[in-house]
Amino acid sequence: MDYLYLDNIDEFVNDQNKIVTYKWLSLTLGVHVNTAKQMLYHYLQQKRNEGSGTPLHATYLVSGKCVENGSKCHKVSVVREDKLNAVKAKMDVTISVHVYSVQRAELKDSSPLYNTDYDAVKENIKNCNKYSTIRCAAAVPMSSAEVQRAQEMALVPPAGKEISKTGLNENTSATPKPSAKQPAGIMGMFASKNASKSQESSKEVKTEQKDDSSLVETSKSKTASKANPMSNLFGKSAQKKADEKPNKSIKEETAASSTAPAIMKQSQTSPKSKIDIKDEQSKVSSALKVESKDTRNKTKRPEVVDSDDEKMESQQKKRRRIKKPQPDSSDDEVVPDSPPVPNVQTPSPKKQVKREHVSHQEESSEVKRRKRRRVLKSHTFVDEEGSFVTEKGYVSESYSESEEEPEPNSQAKDSSSLKQSFGKREEEKKEKREKKTSTANKPTKQPSIMGFFQKK
Amino acid sequence: MATLTRQDLNFGQVVADILCEFLEVAIHLILYVREIYPSGIFQKRKKYNVPVQMSCHPELNQYIQDTLHCVKPLIQKNEAEKVVMVIMDKEHHPVERFVFEISQPPLLSISSETLLSHVEQLLRAMILKISVCDAVLDNNPPGCTFTLLVHTREAATRNMEKVQVIKDFPWIVADEQEVHMEEAKLIPLKTMTSDILKVSHSQLFCTESQVSWLQLKHRCSRISLKSRCKT
Repeated sequence: MDYLYLDNIDEFVNDQNKIVTYKWLSLTLGVHVNTAKQMLYHYLQQKRNEGSGTPLHATYLVSGKCVENGSKCHKVSVVREDKLNAVKAKMDVTISVHVYSVQRAELKDSSPLYNTDYDAVKENIKNCNKYSTIRCAAAVPMSSAEVQRAQEMALVPPAGKEISKTGLNENTSATPKPSAKQPAGIMGMFASKNASKSQESSKEVKTEQKDDSSLVETSKSKTASKANPMSNLFGKSAQKKADEKPNKSIKEETAASSTAPAIMKQSQTSPKSKIDIKDEQSKVSSALKVESKDTRNKTKRPEVVDSDDEKMESQQKKRRRIKKPQPDSSDDEVVPDSPPVPNVQTPSPKKQVKREHVSHQEESSEVKRRKRRRVLKSHTFVDEEGSFVTEKGYVSESYSESEEEPEPNSQAKDSSSLKQSFGKREEEKKEKREKKTSTANKPTKQPSIMGFFQKK
Repeated sequence: MATLTRQDLNFGQVVADILCEFLEVAIHLILYVREIYPSGIFQKRKKYNVPVQMSCHPELNQYIQDTLHCVKPLIQKNEAEKVVMVIMDKEHHPVERFVFEISQPPLLSISSETLLSHVEQLLRAMILKISVCDAVLDNNPPGCTFTLLVHTREAATRNMEKVQVIKDFPWIVADEQEVHMEEAKLIPLKTMTSDILKVSHSQLFCTESQVSWLQLKHRCSRISLKSRCKT
């Protein structure tokens, strides 16, 4: 066989400083993957024997059987060269070892490996297994009719989901514990727990060991993405729809955001800590009802060693977001369970259940119901401190008479600007007043929010 | 997707958004790759459909976000010339500089999603290049810190001093010692050209100090590279 490929690989690795994975090499040169693996191996041998110039680093794919946590499993890992022997020793039976990639840089994590293959696979997506040996007769592309059917089925539940936010709340309930543990680990330590986790010696692509953490992470990112469409429904102003759309196409996950001009910005520009994710999810559900966020935050605050400003800001961001599209959301999203609003009755029990589920974690259901009612009827807006104040929406509501009292307070707040403020004392006084009125009105209706926005 | 022409008010906003997002991801990635902060604070997240490392530290994130939040209007108005991430040693002498030069090609419109996915592809490639840049850079001494500088055209800084975009986040004029690097060498990292973004990097390499230039040519302008190189 001709040895031109060695020059090719040399050019890729040394001149262009690329990461050459076997998959990328096979797609680039148009050779079978096993040939590509051998090419990389030969290249590595040759360069190491020459002992010249720049050091080369390689990663290997090791697959074999081992016993983990008492159960037998087939483990496939991508490991750095320096950890290769250790990983091989751990396995009962080593089934295959081959070169995964060759590069000049010493990689700190496995992300660039994925990045390298991404575009090559994307270009060849129709026949990306042209050069591979894994075959499945049943794996054929769906016909366009089947694709359409699948799309229709996918559209219906998410539409329901967005209205009821069931998915969001389910995820919220599913992941709070693991996410609570990890944020505590990250935030509290910034070192020990996460360092040991993230700096695992082997970069494992498909190990069952890592499944847990990656599952949690993916579920978290999923929840983040789901939370964001939901929160973004109430989110940034409608003016931004135009630039949200191009951003959306670029942005990471555009999960269920088919309807809304969901800005993923929030998740992307502000890398959310898990605490934020948790906060936001709870806040979204609470904000719908425009509720006593403060109690929720209070329960959260002792958990998290975090800056108040950050929470404040995320709270305020949430509030602002929720505020703007309120007219839209109030019709669809908010599920009043109160009799005066019959048109939304059907989704209400579902929503109620979900919200209660969420709120049980942090708040009393009593508070939740209050929120719901309030949203139902009124427009929420952000007052000076960034807390939501609900304005009476439906005049026909039976709460109207009780609404009168808090009305002047909320209006006074409304007149103030929308700028964020951090815990002003005057605000607190107003809040307390409104809180009192709100508690007085509890039996009849949702008064203004203020209890929701108790500042510390 | 709607067609946006340069005349649309949103055009500049869209491009500025794209750039700022990219800058945020790039800054976090540089912090990770150059080991400015321990890797324990970083967490894998997804951007442009590939995993990237972002920090979880709230104050660090806040700092970066606030900086870019202030930079965004400058980019929109084409007043930002370059954004520089300077890595300094314990004595606050710069050892490395990652320079994002911003210029804008004369594109008339963003007309299709394919263009944006093309841009996404190019930005992915930039991220990949940052990930492997340690192959061509020397290791930094321990205890390094970083700072972000923005070079603006003409009088933009005066406006920034007058108007605080973010409360309690003032911008000050950078010290000469932070800006100037002795015996800097330029090392190219990557060049990217697209219809809405022109990105090229060049990187200065030197024994004493290293300067890495990632030139994001967001708009075409007469930025001459030679004036940047200090030898």
